[in-house]
Amino acid sequence: MPTEEKIDIDLFKVVFKAMAQSNNLEIMANHLTQLLVATLEIKGCTIFAINPETEELEVLASFGLSMSYVHKGPILKGKSIGAALKGKPIVIRDINKTDRLQYPEDAKQEGIGAIVSIPIKFYDSVIGALRLYHQDVWDISEKDVDSLSVLTRNIGLAMAFTRMLKTVKKIRYAIDDVESLW
Amino acid sequence: MATQKLLLPYHFTQLDQKALNFVINTFGKLENIAVTVFNAYTPIPEIETDAFSVTSKLKGSLGYLSQKINENEALLDEVKDKLIEGGFSEDRVNCNFRPRKRDIASEIIDLATSDKFDIIVLNRKHARVTRFFSGSISHKVVMTLKDVTVCIVS
Repeated sequence: MPTEEKIDIDLFKVVFKAMAQSNNLEIMANHLTQLLVATLEIKGCTIFAINPETEELEVLASFGLSMSYVHKGPILKGKSIGAALKGKPIVIRDINKTDRLQYPEDAKQEGIGAIVSIPIKFYDSVIGALRLYHQDVWDISEKDVDSLSVLTRNIGLAMAFTRMLKTVKKIRYAIDDVESLW
Repeated sequence: MATQKLLLPYHFTQLDQKALNFVINTFGKLENIAVTVFNAYTPIPEIETDAFSVTSKLKGSLGYLSQKINENEALLDEVKDKLIEGGFSEDRVNCNFRPRKRDIASEIIDLATSDKFDIIVLNRKHARVTRFFSGSISHKVVMTLKDVTVCIVS
């Protein structure tokens, strides 16, 4: 039986509209995780940013998972579902049949059955990851993975844009400080 | 002695736990401190669509989203219980759980100004890359507020 596709163009419009309504990356990312949990009827969703110095994944937004699971410990780029961080989506349809997880026992305790990890890229650099957590074994369709990859491209753009905007604002504040002195 | 109002923003991280312990150890035995535990959550986005396929798909799931938000409200009550166990009397501890409209720092600043808090206890994690995107909450609060004591647990 073919795997059911859950993301269609109408849902895509809803998600992008919610993204476009927010001028704050954190709120936008939180809305995105909420909408993906609702749309895909999954347990939880997290958006990570990669810290290039420590090689840790830092939580930017999360929904549906317990706080103890979200903050279970440092998530290391090299140990945690590594290939997604090399730029390719990873589907772990059954967490009981994989050795790719950094915290497999915590995942089982949380009631997670499957994990899908999609890289967030800006140009060709991986700057983060979108992770979806299903309560059961999950056969996500290839088309849905493709749709999610399009979504993460946009998240990457939003992250890069926000980063630049924050930098420009900092420069402006610094100039304002100097001007007020002279 | 006039009661001092203390604001404790709480987002359920380990550092928030550390800040909570600091508040209990430092202020728990003082009778003139009233604590407000504050959590600003992201409300569920408004779904604006005429597509029946979307509304029917999301109808049941939106209930799940609300349930998850309610669970966080219950967790905030557990923080209140810990403060009471730590020495605060029940009438000196409040919870403020409300939807956020802006960034967390602005929410803290708005509440601290409108409700005239005397002390704010924040925490700070070093070298976080997510700060590039969300900004430093403690930095913005310290730079914006005046006549408020800000304690930063690191």
